[in-house]
Amino acid sequence: MRIKIGYLYPDLMNIYGDHGNILTLVRRCEWRGIPVEVVALNIGDPIAHGEYDMFFMGGGQDREQVMVCRDLQETKGDDIKREIDEGAAALAICGGYQLFGKFYRPFEGDELPGINVFDAHTVAGKKRCIGNVVAKSALGGKQGTVVGFENHSGKTYLGDGCAPLGTVTVGYGNNAEDKTEGAIYRGAIGTYLHGSLLPKNPSIADFLIEKALGRRGSDLPLASLDDSLELAAHAAALKRAVRTH
Amino acid sequence: MRTGNRLVLALGKGIGFTSRFLKAGGGSTLPGRTARRMSPSFVPNMVKELPLGSVLVTGTNGKTTTATLLASILDRAGMTPVHNRTGANLLAGIASALIRESDLGGHLAGRMGLFEVDEAAFPAAVEETSPRLVVVNNLFRDQLDRYGELDTLASRMKEAVRTLDPQSVVVLNADDPLVASIGRDLPHEVIYYGIDTDRYGSESMQHAADSKHCAECGSRLTYEYYLFGHMGRYSCPSCGTSRPGSQVSAVELEMVELEGTRCTVKYPGGEVTLFIPLPGLYNVYNVLAAMSCALALGVDIETVKEGIEGFKAAFGRVERVEADGRNILMILAKNPAGFNEVIRTLTGGTGRKNVVLALNDNIADGRDVSWIWDVDFEMLRDRLGRVVCSGIRAADMALRVKYAELGEDSLTVEPNLEKALQEGLAMVEQGETLFVVPTYTAMLTLRGSMVKKGLVAPYWEG
Repeated sequence: MRIKIGYLYPDLMNIYGDHGNILTLVRRCEWRGIPVEVVALNIGDPIAHGEYDMFFMGGGQDREQVMVCRDLQETKGDDIKREIDEGAAALAICGGYQLFGKFYRPFEGDELPGINVFDAHTVAGKKRCIGNVVAKSALGGKQGTVVGFENHSGKTYLGDGCAPLGTVTVGYGNNAEDKTEGAIYRGAIGTYLHGSLLPKNPSIADFLIEKALGRRGSDLPLASLDDSLELAAHAAALKRAVRTH
Repeated sequence: MRTGNRLVLALGKGIGFTSRFLKAGGGSTLPGRTARRMSPSFVPNMVKELPLGSVLVTGTNGKTTTATLLASILDRAGMTPVHNRTGANLLAGIASALIRESDLGGHLAGRMGLFEVDEAAFPAAVEETSPRLVVVNNLFRDQLDRYGELDTLASRMKEAVRTLDPQSVVVLNADDPLVASIGRDLPHEVIYYGIDTDRYGSESMQHAADSKHCAECGSRLTYEYYLFGHMGRYSCPSCGTSRPGSQVSAVELEMVELEGTRCTVKYPGGEVTLFIPLPGLYNVYNVLAAMSCALALGVDIETVKEGIEGFKAAFGRVERVEADGRNILMILAKNPAGFNEVIRTLTGGTGRKNVVLALNDNIADGRDVSWIWDVDFEMLRDRLGRVVCSGIRAADMALRVKYAELGEDSLTVEPNLEKALQEGLAMVEQGETLFVVPTYTAMLTLRGSMVKKGLVAPYWEG
């Protein structure tokens, strides 16, 4: 069973080591003998119905984000939303997370429309939220936590149509107000966390791989891997987060 | 000299002395921080005492090497720079250098200010030091958690350059599209430098490349070839902007592995062949930057050549140390682009290399360690012997090595830097080299333990 990952705008949306997330997904499939293919989806590229089992999108600078927003509205947004509704997995980080919501409202100028995967909207904030983050999450695996690094000024507010990825215990999270971090809708995860996120949070990587396999009709549990280094890095990041805040 | 400044100087000198006496460090920022707090006009007042004016060196990678190269040339030319050494490149570092190099009456030992500043501190430094010459070497993503986005940074720098005295000279890297854009439509004299040969060019860009879009119109740039990160021979298919012609150009290059680069440089009025005693293409850029500045300041080419060929690396950037018949080659790597150049250096030659990779996440390193995922560690496959990952985020570095599939079996995690260095040295045979690649504060600690062992001199004596 082969899974196919659509890597959205790898040239434009890859600002903080987001490549590490793709690398982690690929290796964790390969180490289990699951064939995996990553396809770059650039501006103008269409998304065929049923072709992708997972989407990934990272963060970008303002200018890139505007270009991507336009392309999502013109060629891909509705298709991504449809694929996720039909069971595809997705991970959207930072700027990608914002564009997976309903809209982004800047201080000045027009609102950037999102693709409505998450019932969430983002407004520009004055303060930049920067630092290590720890969030309690059901997707945190044995540790029960998700760790990463946030760097955003947008404040994201969730509606009833999606659940938060976790509850912040260290750091700012979605909006520095309600202690939520990230969003989950079906097999799609949105989050502000870099790090890269997946290497240090292998249970989230495996959640996405399981969802993608599920789309191909497999409900077998994933073979377990030796995650001792991953968990050591998770523990180190957790300790560091507490100490640097 | 105002009386107020004298008091500030006396106090600053006292703090610097105490800090060195207590071996707390070189006293390279605390005296300046205190002085600036006591007297906000301390730096503007002090630089007026410099008869030859000031030079500012900035850019993400190579500031310290470029400034130290330039200092080596200016020293030989009798221009005696006051230089904020030891990588303390915020305004407090400039103030500290001024304190260190002056007597209590405010008379400076040097004649020209030579200040390296972080990109983010550049606008403030322009305002406070009124430089006669500025050089911008490159702009990469480095500690975005501190600086904000690259485009914003570049436009702030451009605004600052516009406020320079009309007589000031602006020296820019032509091969970096974002840096080159700073010189467009500028009323000042602009000198561009760059590499004018495709000998070490490649057709593809590394992950770490940052400036891929035209600074004028936002379209994607096309490249004839890439040299180092996003530097290379570029043009914009949409608005026609392209790499400006360079007045100081490396026209021939020959890299001598791990030793340095032989190169021929064309400059207005001639051509010179010299040997750069530092490895890697990034050091060619540092040399071109220093040469362009020195020539613009009126130094003759013989002195420029002597200054470069007789150069001793700035502490820690590239440092060769001998330890019990073994060699340590320590190369600082603080961001993806710099790290990729180190990797390019490590892939040269034969035999598997034993390395210590040391990752810290203190403020001076950048709290966010995500950037290691933008480094092309995959290029080191089948090139490494044993790897020791160390530093505060040793486990993150180990994960990066694991996912690059460099061999999990030959990997050791030892967060303690001193122990990691011991372990590294135990892995290499007599006469062999251990490669140590630390981030900034990891380098300071490693250097500290080498000082303790008597292997190197403390940096404030350097």
